[in-house]
Amino acid sequence: MLSLLGGVFLGWSLGANDAANVFGTAVSARMLRFGTAAALAAVFVVIGALMEGQAAIDTLTGLTRMGLSQAVIASVAAAATVSAMTLLGQPVSTSQAVVGAILGIGLLNGQLNLNGLTKVLLCWLGTPVGGALMAMVLFFTLGTLYNRLHLNLFQSDFWLRLALILAGSYGAYALGANNVANVTAVFVGAGLLDSFQAALIGGGSIAAGILTFSRPVMATVGRRLVALDPFSALVVVLSLAVTVHFYTLLGVPVSTSQAVVGAVLGIGLIKGVNTVSRRTLQQICLAWFLTPMVSCCLSLAIFFATHLRYVPPQ
Amino acid sequence: MFSFLFKKGHRVERLIYAYLENIKRSQESFANALRECFLHGERCENFEFYLQQTHKYESKADDVRQEINDLMYGKALIPDSRGDIMGLMAALDVVPHRFESILYMIQTQRLQLPDFLKVDLKALVDLCLETCDLLYRQTEALFQKSDHIRELLTTIDTNESHCDHFERTLITKIFDSDIDPFLKLQLKDLIVEIGEIANQADRVSKRINIISLKRRV
Repeated sequence: MLSLLGGVFLGWSLGANDAANVFGTAVSARMLRFGTAAALAAVFVVIGALMEGQAAIDTLTGLTRMGLSQAVIASVAAAATVSAMTLLGQPVSTSQAVVGAILGIGLLNGQLNLNGLTKVLLCWLGTPVGGALMAMVLFFTLGTLYNRLHLNLFQSDFWLRLALILAGSYGAYALGANNVANVTAVFVGAGLLDSFQAALIGGGSIAAGILTFSRPVMATVGRRLVALDPFSALVVVLSLAVTVHFYTLLGVPVSTSQAVVGAVLGIGLIKGVNTVSRRTLQQICLAWFLTPMVSCCLSLAIFFATHLRYVPPQ
Repeated sequence: MFSFLFKKGHRVERLIYAYLENIKRSQESFANALRECFLHGERCENFEFYLQQTHKYESKADDVRQEINDLMYGKALIPDSRGDIMGLMAALDVVPHRFESILYMIQTQRLQLPDFLKVDLKALVDLCLETCDLLYRQTEALFQKSDHIRELLTTIDTNESHCDHFERTLITKIFDSDIDPFLKLQLKDLIVEIGEIANQADRVSKRINIISLKRRV
Protein backbone atom coordinates (compact mmCIF):
# COMPACT_ATOMS: atom_id res chain seq x y z
CA MET A 1 0.00 0.00 0.00
CA LEU A 2 3.05 2.27 0.35
CA SER A 3 2.94 2.61 -3.43
CA LEU A 4 -0.26 4.61 -3.02
CA LEU A 5 1.39 7.35 -0.95
CA GLY A 6 2.24 9.54 -3.94
CA GLY A 7 -1.38 9.42 -5.11
CA VAL A 8 -2.75 10.07 -1.64
CA PHE A 9 -0.46 13.08 -1.28
CA LEU A 10 -1.63 14.33 -4.68
CA GLY A 11 -5.27 13.90 -3.61
CA TRP A 12 -4.62 15.68 -0.32
CA SER A 13 -3.03 18.71 -2.05
CA LEU A 14 -5.82 18.71 -4.66
CA GLY A 15 -8.44 18.82 -1.91
CA ALA A 16 -6.58 21.55 -0.02
CA ASN A 17 -6.34 23.73 -3.15
CA ASP A 18 -9.43 23.09 -5.26
CA ALA A 19 -12.11 23.18 -2.54
CA ALA A 20 -11.49 26.93 -2.52
CA ASN A 21 -12.94 27.18 -6.02
CA VAL A 22 -16.31 25.84 -4.87
CA PHE A 23 -16.68 27.19 -1.33
CA GLY A 24 -14.08 29.98 -1.22
CA THR A 25 -16.62 32.72 -1.90
CA ALA A 26 -19.03 31.64 0.81
CA VAL A 27 -16.36 31.03 3.45
CA SER A 28 -14.15 34.07 2.93
CA ALA A 29 -17.25 36.29 2.93
CA ARG A 30 -18.43 34.54 6.12
CA MET A 31 -21.67 33.45 4.49
CA LEU A 32 -20.83 29.97 5.69
CA ARG A 33 -18.58 28.68 8.47
CA PHE A 34 -15.43 26.93 7.35
CA GLY A 35 -16.36 23.79 9.30
CA THR A 36 -19.75 23.53 7.58
CA ALA A 37 -18.27 24.24 4.14
CA ALA A 38 -15.43 21.76 4.63
CA ALA A 39 -17.82 19.06 5.87
CA LEU A 40 -20.20 19.59 2.93
CA ALA A 41 -17.32 19.66 0.44
CA ALA A 42 -15.70 16.52 1.89
CA VAL A 43 -18.96 14.55 1.87
CA PHE A 44 -19.94 15.59 -1.67
CA VAL A 45 -16.42 15.02 -3.05
CA VAL A 46 -16.54 11.40 -1.84
CA ILE A 47 -20.11 10.94 -3.15
CA GLY A 48 -19.09 12.41 -6.52
CA ALA A 49 -16.01 10.20 -6.72
CA LEU A 50 -18.00 7.06 -5.95
CA MET A 51 -20.98 7.89 -8.15
CA GLU A 52 -19.33 9.25 -11.28
CA GLY A 53 -15.56 8.96 -10.91
CA GLN A 54 -15.41 5.87 -13.12
CA ALA A 55 -15.52 7.62 -16.52
CA ALA A 56 -12.48 9.83 -15.99
CA ILE A 57 -10.57 6.93 -14.40
CA ASP A 58 -11.24 4.90 -17.55
CA THR A 59 -9.98 7.76 -19.77
CA LEU A 60 -6.70 8.17 -17.90
CA THR A 61 -6.22 4.42 -17.60
CA GLY A 62 -6.70 4.14 -21.35
CA LEU A 63 -3.97 6.66 -22.22
CA THR A 64 -1.21 4.06 -21.80
CA ARG A 65 -0.44 0.78 -20.10
CA MET A 66 1.88 0.85 -17.16
CA GLY A 67 3.31 -1.38 -14.46
CA LEU A 68 3.12 -0.67 -10.73
CA SER A 69 6.54 0.97 -10.52
CA GLN A 70 5.64 3.22 -13.47
CA ALA A 71 2.33 4.13 -11.80
CA VAL A 72 4.18 5.14 -8.65
CA ILE A 73 6.64 7.19 -10.72
CA ALA A 74 3.74 8.92 -12.55
CA SER A 75 1.94 9.83 -9.33
CA VAL A 76 5.14 11.02 -7.60
CA ALA A 77 6.11 13.09 -10.67
CA ALA A 78 2.66 14.69 -10.78
CA ALA A 79 2.66 15.38 -7.03
CA ALA A 80 6.17 16.85 -7.18
CA THR A 81 5.21 19.05 -10.16
CA VAL A 82 2.13 20.38 -8.36
CA SER A 83 4.12 21.05 -5.18
CA ALA A 84 7.10 22.63 -6.95
CA MET A 85 4.98 24.90 -9.15
CA THR A 86 2.83 25.92 -6.20
CA LEU A 87 5.98 26.80 -4.23
CA LEU A 88 7.27 28.78 -7.23
CA GLY A 89 3.96 30.65 -7.37
CA GLN A 90 3.18 29.31 -10.85
CA PRO A 91 -0.36 28.36 -11.85
CA VAL A 92 -0.81 24.63 -11.84
CA SER A 93 -3.54 22.17 -12.70
CA THR A 94 -3.45 18.73 -11.08
CA SER A 95 -5.23 17.22 -14.09
CA GLN A 96 -2.59 18.58 -16.43
CA ALA A 97 0.25 17.41 -14.16
CA VAL A 98 -1.14 13.87 -14.04
CA VAL A 99 -1.72 13.66 -17.79
CA GLY A 100 1.81 15.03 -18.36
CA ALA A 101 3.28 12.34 -16.12
CA ILE A 102 1.27 9.59 -17.86
CA LEU A 103 2.44 11.01 -21.18
CA GLY A 104 6.07 10.61 -20.03
CA ILE A 105 5.49 6.98 -19.09
CA GLY A 106 3.64 6.41 -22.38
CA LEU A 107 6.59 7.81 -24.35
CA LEU A 108 8.93 5.47 -22.49
CA ASN A 109 6.74 2.50 -23.25
CA GLY A 110 6.34 3.65 -26.84
CA GLN A 111 2.63 3.22 -26.39
CA LEU A 112 0.29 6.18 -26.28
CA ASN A 113 -3.43 6.42 -27.03
CA LEU A 114 -3.35 9.49 -29.29
CA ASN A 115 -7.13 9.63 -29.68
CA GLY A 116 -7.59 9.74 -25.92
CA LEU A 117 -4.86 12.34 -25.58
CA THR A 118 -6.42 14.56 -28.27
CA LYS A 119 -9.78 14.35 -26.50
CA VAL A 120 -8.13 15.41 -23.22
CA LEU A 121 -6.26 18.31 -24.84
CA LEU A 122 -9.43 19.59 -26.52
CA CYS A 123 -11.30 19.44 -23.24
CA TRP A 124 -8.56 21.45 -21.53
CA LEU A 125 -8.99 24.18 -24.11
CA GLY A 126 -12.74 23.91 -23.71
CA THR A 127 -12.77 24.26 -19.92
CA PRO A 128 -12.42 28.05 -19.59
CA VAL A 129 -14.50 28.56 -22.75
CA GLY A 130 -17.21 26.26 -21.38
CA GLY A 131 -17.07 28.07 -18.04
CA ALA A 132 -17.54 31.43 -19.78
CA LEU A 133 -20.44 30.22 -21.97
CA MET A 134 -22.16 28.51 -19.05
CA ALA A 135 -21.81 31.67 -16.93
CA MET A 136 -23.43 33.76 -19.68
CA VAL A 137 -26.33 31.34 -20.13
CA LEU A 138 -26.92 30.99 -16.38
CA PHE A 139 -26.61 34.72 -15.79
CA PHE A 140 -29.40 35.45 -18.28
CA THR A 141 -31.74 32.60 -17.33
CA LEU A 142 -31.32 32.80 -13.55
CA GLY A 143 -31.24 36.60 -13.72
CA THR A 144 -34.62 36.70 -15.49
CA LEU A 145 -36.09 34.32 -12.92
CA TYR A 146 -34.59 36.28 -10.02
CA ASN A 147 -36.00 39.57 -11.31
CA ARG A 148 -39.47 38.06 -11.78
CA LEU A 149 -39.58 36.88 -8.17
CA HIS A 150 -39.43 40.49 -6.84
CA LEU A 151 -37.68 39.40 -3.68
CA ASN A 152 -37.16 41.83 -0.83
CA LEU A 153 -33.74 42.32 0.72
CA PHE A 154 -34.07 39.54 3.30
CA GLN A 155 -35.64 37.04 0.90
CA SER A 156 -32.94 37.82 -1.66
CA ASP A 157 -30.28 37.32 1.01
CA PHE A 158 -31.82 34.02 2.15
CA TRP A 159 -32.13 32.52 -1.34
CA LEU A 160 -28.69 33.67 -2.48
CA ARG A 161 -27.04 32.09 0.55
CA LEU A 162 -29.00 28.87 0.17
CA ALA A 163 -28.29 28.73 -3.56
CA LEU A 164 -24.59 29.32 -2.93
CA ILE A 165 -24.50 26.42 -0.45
CA LEU A 166 -26.32 24.13 -2.90
CA ALA A 167 -24.15 25.24 -5.84
CA GLY A 168 -21.01 24.75 -3.73
CA SER A 169 -22.13 21.25 -2.77
CA TYR A 170 -22.82 20.44 -6.42
CA GLY A 171 -19.40 21.89 -7.28
CA ALA A 172 -17.78 19.62 -4.68
CA TYR A 173 -19.65 16.64 -6.16
CA ALA A 174 -18.39 17.55 -9.64
CA LEU A 175 -14.86 18.07 -8.29
CA GLY A 176 -14.85 14.62 -6.72
CA ALA A 177 -16.35 12.95 -9.79
CA ASN A 178 -13.96 14.68 -12.17
CA ASN A 179 -10.68 14.90 -10.31
CA VAL A 180 -10.61 11.57 -8.47
CA ALA A 181 -9.07 10.08 -11.62
CA ASN A 182 -6.02 12.32 -11.15
CA VAL A 183 -5.36 10.75 -7.79
CA THR A 184 -5.71 7.03 -8.33
CA ALA A 185 -6.29 6.29 -12.04
CA VAL A 186 -2.65 5.29 -12.57
CA PHE A 187 -3.01 2.59 -9.91
CA VAL A 188 -6.06 1.18 -11.66
CA GLY A 189 -3.99 1.03 -14.86
CA ALA A 190 -1.27 -0.81 -12.94
CA GLY A 191 -3.77 -3.31 -11.59
CA LEU A 192 -3.23 -2.34 -7.93
CA LEU A 193 -6.78 -1.08 -7.37
CA ASP A 194 -10.17 -1.68 -8.89
CA SER A 195 -12.33 1.31 -9.87
CA PHE A 196 -14.38 1.33 -6.66
CA GLN A 197 -11.28 1.20 -4.46
CA ALA A 198 -9.67 3.92 -6.58
CA ALA A 199 -12.73 6.17 -6.22
CA LEU A 200 -12.92 5.53 -2.47
CA ILE A 201 -9.22 6.12 -1.74
CA GLY A 202 -9.03 9.06 -4.16
CA GLY A 203 -12.21 10.68 -2.82
CA GLY A 204 -11.05 10.07 0.74
CA SER A 205 -7.67 11.68 0.20
CA ILE A 206 -9.26 14.72 -1.51
CA ALA A 207 -11.69 14.98 1.41
CA ALA A 208 -8.76 14.76 3.87
CA GLY A 209 -7.08 17.68 2.09
CA ILE A 210 -10.29 19.71 2.31
CA LEU A 211 -10.78 18.97 6.01
CA THR A 212 -7.19 19.56 7.09
CA PHE A 213 -5.67 22.27 4.94
CA SER A 214 -8.18 24.12 2.76
CA ARG A 215 -9.01 26.93 5.22
CA PRO A 216 -6.14 29.33 4.27
CA VAL A 217 -6.57 28.64 0.54
CA MET A 218 -10.33 29.26 0.77
CA ALA A 219 -9.68 32.58 2.49
CA THR A 220 -7.18 33.65 -0.17
CA VAL A 221 -8.92 32.37 -3.30
CA GLY A 222 -12.37 33.39 -2.09
CA ARG A 223 -11.42 37.03 -1.74
CA ARG A 224 -10.67 37.21 -5.45
CA LEU A 225 -14.28 36.31 -6.18
CA VAL A 226 -15.93 38.40 -3.47
CA ALA A 227 -15.34 41.48 -5.62
CA LEU A 228 -18.27 40.13 -7.66
CA ASP A 229 -21.78 40.86 -6.45
CA PRO A 230 -23.46 37.90 -4.66
CA PHE A 231 -25.60 36.92 -7.66
CA SER A 232 -22.60 36.87 -10.00
CA ALA A 233 -20.60 34.87 -7.43
CA LEU A 234 -23.43 32.31 -7.37
CA VAL A 235 -23.43 32.13 -11.17
CA VAL A 236 -19.65 31.60 -11.17
CA VAL A 237 -19.82 28.69 -8.68
CA LEU A 238 -22.76 27.11 -10.50
CA SER A 239 -21.03 27.50 -13.88
CA LEU A 240 -17.93 25.84 -12.48
CA ALA A 241 -20.02 22.93 -11.19
CA VAL A 242 -21.97 22.43 -14.44
CA THR A 243 -18.85 22.77 -16.63
CA VAL A 244 -16.76 20.35 -14.57
CA HIS A 245 -19.70 17.92 -14.35
CA PHE A 246 -20.11 18.11 -18.15
CA TYR A 247 -16.47 17.10 -18.64
CA THR A 248 -16.95 14.36 -16.04
CA LEU A 249 -19.66 12.89 -18.25
CA LEU A 250 -17.18 13.04 -21.15
CA GLY A 251 -14.69 11.28 -18.88
CA VAL A 252 -11.99 13.94 -18.94
CA PRO A 253 -10.40 15.40 -15.81
CA VAL A 254 -10.15 19.19 -16.09
CA SER A 255 -8.99 22.12 -13.98
CA THR A 256 -11.62 23.67 -11.67
CA SER A 257 -9.47 26.82 -11.39
CA GLN A 258 -9.60 27.32 -15.15
CA ALA A 259 -13.37 26.76 -15.16
CA VAL A 260 -13.71 29.49 -12.49
CA VAL A 261 -11.55 31.94 -14.46
CA GLY A 262 -13.67 31.23 -17.56
CA ALA A 263 -16.89 31.83 -15.64
CA VAL A 264 -15.61 35.12 -14.18
CA LEU A 265 -14.57 36.16 -17.68
CA GLY A 266 -18.10 35.32 -18.93
CA ILE A 267 -19.65 37.56 -16.25
CA GLY A 268 -17.25 40.32 -17.27
CA LEU A 269 -18.27 39.99 -20.93
CA ILE A 270 -21.95 40.35 -20.03
CA LYS A 271 -21.39 43.34 -17.78
CA GLY A 272 -18.91 44.96 -20.13
CA VAL A 273 -16.20 45.11 -17.49
CA ASN A 274 -12.75 43.61 -17.30
CA THR A 275 -13.04 40.95 -14.61
CA VAL A 276 -9.98 38.92 -15.59
CA SER A 277 -6.59 40.48 -16.19
CA ARG A 278 -4.49 39.70 -19.22
CA ARG A 279 -1.90 38.32 -16.79
CA THR A 280 -4.39 35.68 -15.53
CA LEU A 281 -5.12 34.60 -19.11
CA GLN A 282 -1.39 34.42 -19.84
CA GLN A 283 -0.97 32.28 -16.73
CA ILE A 284 -3.64 29.83 -17.95
CA CYS A 285 -1.92 29.52 -21.34
CA LEU A 286 1.40 29.02 -19.55
CA ALA A 287 -0.16 26.38 -17.28
CA TRP A 288 -1.54 24.50 -20.32
CA PHE A 289 1.96 24.25 -21.73
CA LEU A 290 4.24 24.25 -18.69
CA THR A 291 2.48 21.90 -16.24
CA PRO A 292 2.24 18.82 -18.50
CA MET A 293 5.73 19.47 -19.89
CA VAL A 294 7.35 19.72 -16.43
CA SER A 295 5.45 16.68 -15.19
CA CYS A 296 6.31 14.67 -18.31
CA CYS A 297 10.03 15.53 -18.00
CA LEU A 298 9.98 14.77 -14.29
CA SER A 299 8.42 11.34 -14.76
CA LEU A 300 11.09 10.55 -17.38
CA ALA A 301 13.84 11.82 -15.08
CA ILE A 302 12.54 9.80 -12.11
CA PHE A 303 12.26 6.72 -14.29
CA PHE A 304 15.86 7.02 -15.49
CA ALA A 305 17.10 7.84 -11.99
CA THR A 306 15.44 4.74 -10.53
CA HIS A 307 16.90 2.56 -13.29
CA LEU A 308 20.49 3.72 -12.94
CA ARG A 309 22.81 0.87 -12.11
CA TYR A 310 26.22 1.01 -10.56
CA VAL A 311 28.70 -0.67 -12.89
CA PRO A 312 31.96 -1.33 -11.03
CA PRO A 313 35.13 -0.52 -12.96
CA GLN A 314 36.75 -3.63 -14.37
CA MET B 1 -35.51 23.24 5.96
CA PHE B 2 -32.39 25.39 6.02
CA SER B 3 -33.87 28.17 8.16
CA PHE B 4 -31.58 27.27 11.08
CA LEU B 5 -28.73 28.69 9.00
CA PHE B 6 -30.43 32.07 8.76
CA LYS B 7 -31.54 32.85 12.31
CA LYS B 8 -29.45 36.01 12.46
CA GLY B 9 -31.08 37.35 9.31
CA HIS B 10 -34.56 36.95 10.80
CA ARG B 11 -33.42 38.65 13.99
CA VAL B 12 -32.02 41.59 12.03
CA GLU B 13 -35.36 41.91 10.22
CA ARG B 14 -37.28 42.04 13.53
CA LEU B 15 -34.84 44.60 14.96
CA ILE B 16 -35.17 46.87 11.93
CA TYR B 17 -38.95 47.02 12.44
CA ALA B 18 -38.37 47.73 16.16
CA TYR B 19 -35.95 50.50 15.17
CA LEU B 20 -38.50 52.06 12.80
CA GLU B 21 -41.18 51.88 15.52
CA ASN B 22 -38.93 53.82 17.90
CA ILE B 23 -38.11 56.58 15.44
CA LYS B 24 -41.82 56.88 14.57
CA ARG B 25 -42.57 57.39 18.28
CA SER B 26 -39.73 59.86 18.57
CA GLN B 27 -41.24 61.76 15.63
CA GLU B 28 -44.68 61.69 17.25
CA SER B 29 -43.33 63.34 20.41
CA PHE B 30 -41.36 65.84 18.34
CA ALA B 31 -44.50 66.73 16.35
CA ASN B 32 -46.53 67.14 19.56
CA ALA B 33 -43.85 69.37 21.08
CA LEU B 34 -43.82 71.65 18.03
CA ARG B 35 -47.57 71.69 17.29
CA GLU B 36 -48.81 72.02 20.86
CA CYS B 37 -46.06 74.06 22.44
CA PHE B 38 -44.11 76.05 19.86
CA LEU B 39 -46.18 76.86 16.80
CA HIS B 40 -48.81 78.54 19.00
CA GLY B 41 -46.22 81.12 19.97
CA GLU B 42 -45.90 80.32 23.66
CA ARG B 43 -44.20 77.42 25.37
CA CYS B 44 -46.57 75.07 27.21
CA GLU B 45 -45.96 72.85 30.23
CA ASN B 46 -45.89 69.70 28.16
CA PHE B 47 -42.88 70.81 26.14
CA GLU B 48 -40.38 69.27 28.57
CA PHE B 49 -42.36 66.02 28.66
CA TYR B 50 -42.42 65.77 24.86
CA LEU B 51 -38.73 66.60 24.74
CA GLN B 52 -37.98 63.78 27.19
CA GLN B 53 -40.16 61.39 25.18
CA THR B 54 -38.40 62.36 21.94
CA HIS B 55 -35.05 61.77 23.62
CA LYS B 56 -36.23 58.48 25.15
CA TYR B 57 -37.34 56.97 21.85
CA GLU B 58 -34.32 58.34 20.00
CA SER B 59 -32.13 56.70 22.62
CA LYS B 60 -34.06 53.41 22.34
CA ALA B 61 -33.64 53.54 18.57
CA ASP B 62 -29.89 54.02 19.12
CA ASP B 63 -29.79 50.91 21.32
CA VAL B 64 -31.63 48.85 18.71
CA ARG B 65 -29.30 50.14 16.00
CA GLN B 66 -26.32 49.11 18.11
CA GLU B 67 -27.82 45.64 18.45
CA ILE B 68 -28.28 45.47 14.66
CA ASN B 69 -24.65 46.51 14.16
CA ASP B 70 -23.47 43.86 16.63
CA LEU B 71 -25.37 41.23 14.66
CA MET B 72 -23.83 42.52 11.44
CA TYR B 73 -20.34 42.29 12.91
CA GLY B 74 -21.38 38.78 14.01
CA LYS B 75 -21.66 38.03 10.28
CA ALA B 76 -25.42 37.97 9.86
CA LEU B 77 -26.50 38.24 6.21
CA ILE B 78 -24.24 38.33 3.18
CA PRO B 79 -21.56 41.07 3.08
CA ASP B 80 -23.38 43.11 0.44
CA SER B 81 -26.56 43.24 2.53
CA ARG B 82 -24.57 43.95 5.70
CA GLY B 83 -23.00 47.06 4.19
CA ASP B 84 -26.32 48.24 2.77
CA ILE B 85 -28.22 47.82 6.03
CA MET B 86 -25.55 49.39 8.21
CA GLY B 87 -25.28 52.34 5.82
CA LEU B 88 -29.06 52.72 5.73
CA MET B 89 -29.32 52.61 9.52
CA ALA B 90 -26.60 55.24 9.89
CA ALA B 91 -28.38 57.52 7.41
CA LEU B 92 -31.81 56.96 9.00
CA ASP B 93 -30.43 57.64 12.44
CA VAL B 94 -29.69 61.25 11.50
CA VAL B 95 -33.45 61.95 11.38
CA PRO B 96 -34.34 61.33 15.09
CA HIS B 97 -31.07 63.04 16.10
CA ARG B 98 -32.31 66.08 14.28
CA PHE B 99 -35.72 65.93 16.04
CA GLU B 100 -33.91 65.97 19.35
CA SER B 101 -31.45 68.73 18.44
CA ILE B 102 -34.28 70.99 17.19
CA LEU B 103 -36.17 70.63 20.47
CA TYR B 104 -32.98 71.27 22.48
CA MET B 105 -32.36 74.34 20.33
CA ILE B 106 -35.83 75.68 21.20
CA GLN B 107 -35.37 74.78 24.88
CA THR B 108 -31.84 76.05 25.49
CA GLN B 109 -32.18 79.24 23.41
CA ARG B 110 -35.69 79.88 24.81
CA LEU B 111 -36.97 80.58 21.32
CA GLN B 112 -40.35 82.21 20.83
CA LEU B 113 -42.04 82.17 17.45
CA PRO B 114 -43.21 85.57 16.13
CA ASP B 115 -46.84 85.56 14.88
CA PHE B 116 -45.99 86.39 11.26
CA LEU B 117 -44.06 83.10 10.89
CA LYS B 118 -46.63 80.73 12.41
CA VAL B 119 -48.53 79.73 9.28
CA ASP B 120 -45.50 79.21 7.06
CA LEU B 121 -43.50 77.40 9.74
CA LYS B 122 -46.44 75.09 10.43
CA ALA B 123 -46.58 74.29 6.71
CA LEU B 124 -42.84 73.56 6.69
CA VAL B 125 -43.04 71.32 9.78
CA ASP B 126 -46.08 69.44 8.42
CA LEU B 127 -44.41 68.83 5.09
CA CYS B 128 -41.14 67.69 6.70
CA LEU B 129 -43.01 65.25 8.94
CA GLU B 130 -45.07 63.97 6.01
CA THR B 131 -41.79 63.40 4.13
CA CYS B 132 -40.50 61.39 7.10
CA ASP B 133 -43.68 59.28 7.10
CA LEU B 134 -43.13 58.56 3.41
CA LEU B 135 -39.52 57.63 4.18
CA TYR B 136 -40.63 55.08 6.79
CA ARG B 137 -43.06 53.61 4.26
CA GLN B 138 -40.27 53.42 1.71
CA THR B 139 -37.95 51.75 4.24
CA GLU B 140 -40.64 49.17 5.04
CA ALA B 141 -41.22 48.65 1.32
CA LEU B 142 -37.54 47.75 0.95
CA PHE B 143 -37.95 44.95 3.49
CA GLN B 144 -41.31 43.79 2.14
CA LYS B 145 -42.49 42.68 -1.26
CA SER B 146 -43.33 46.08 -2.70
CA ASP B 147 -42.93 47.87 -6.00
CA HIS B 148 -43.61 51.35 -4.59
CA ILE B 149 -40.02 52.31 -3.80
CA ARG B 150 -39.57 54.36 -6.97
CA GLU B 151 -42.93 56.17 -6.58
CA LEU B 152 -42.14 57.06 -2.98
CA LEU B 153 -38.73 58.34 -4.05
CA THR B 154 -40.40 60.73 -6.49
CA THR B 155 -42.89 61.99 -3.89
CA ILE B 156 -40.17 62.48 -1.26
CA ASP B 157 -38.04 64.37 -3.78
CA THR B 158 -40.98 66.65 -4.65
CA ASN B 159 -41.70 67.27 -0.95
CA GLU B 160 -38.06 68.12 -0.32
CA SER B 161 -38.20 70.74 -3.11
CA HIS B 162 -41.34 72.24 -1.56
CA CYS B 163 -39.63 72.31 1.85
CA ASP B 164 -36.72 74.22 0.31
CA HIS B 165 -39.22 76.71 -1.07
CA PHE B 166 -40.89 77.16 2.35
CA GLU B 167 -37.48 77.51 3.94
CA ARG B 168 -36.46 80.31 1.58
CA THR B 169 -39.82 82.09 2.06
CA LEU B 170 -39.49 81.92 5.83
CA ILE B 171 -35.90 83.15 5.89
CA THR B 172 -36.79 86.02 3.57
CA LYS B 173 -39.70 86.99 5.84
CA ILE B 174 -37.43 86.87 8.89
CA PHE B 175 -34.84 89.18 7.37
CA ASP B 176 -37.53 91.50 5.97
CA SER B 177 -38.98 91.94 9.45
CA ASP B 178 -37.80 94.39 12.11
CA ILE B 179 -37.31 91.87 14.92
CA ASP B 180 -34.10 91.78 16.92
CA PRO B 181 -31.15 90.85 14.61
CA PHE B 182 -29.94 88.25 17.08
CA LEU B 183 -33.38 86.58 17.07
CA LYS B 184 -33.32 86.69 13.25
CA LEU B 185 -30.17 84.55 13.25
CA GLN B 186 -31.58 82.15 15.83
CA LEU B 187 -34.81 81.68 13.87
CA LYS B 188 -32.92 81.26 10.61
CA ASP B 189 -30.82 78.51 12.18
CA LEU B 190 -33.95 76.82 13.50
CA ILE B 191 -35.62 76.89 10.07
CA VAL B 192 -32.52 75.55 8.35
CA GLU B 193 -32.38 72.77 10.95
CA ILE B 194 -36.05 71.86 10.38
CA GLY B 195 -35.54 71.95 6.60
CA GLU B 196 -32.62 69.55 7.03
CA ILE B 197 -35.10 66.86 8.15
CA ALA B 198 -36.58 66.78 4.64
CA ASN B 199 -33.12 67.00 3.07
CA GLN B 200 -31.95 63.99 5.07
CA ALA B 201 -35.16 62.08 4.25
CA ASP B 202 -34.44 62.73 0.58
CA ARG B 203 -30.84 61.47 0.92
CA VAL B 204 -31.99 58.28 2.69
CA SER B 205 -34.73 57.77 0.10
CA LYS B 206 -32.18 57.89 -2.73
CA ARG B 207 -29.99 55.39 -0.85
CA ILE B 208 -32.98 53.04 -0.47
CA ASN B 209 -33.66 53.26 -4.18
CA ILE B 210 -30.05 52.31 -4.95
CA ILE B 211 -30.19 49.38 -2.49
CA SER B 212 -33.35 48.19 -4.24
CA LEU B 213 -31.87 48.63 -7.74
CA LYS B 214 -28.76 46.69 -6.73
CA ARG B 215 -30.99 43.69 -6.17
CA ARG B 216 -32.07 43.61 -9.80
CA VAL B 217 -29.91 41.57 -12.15
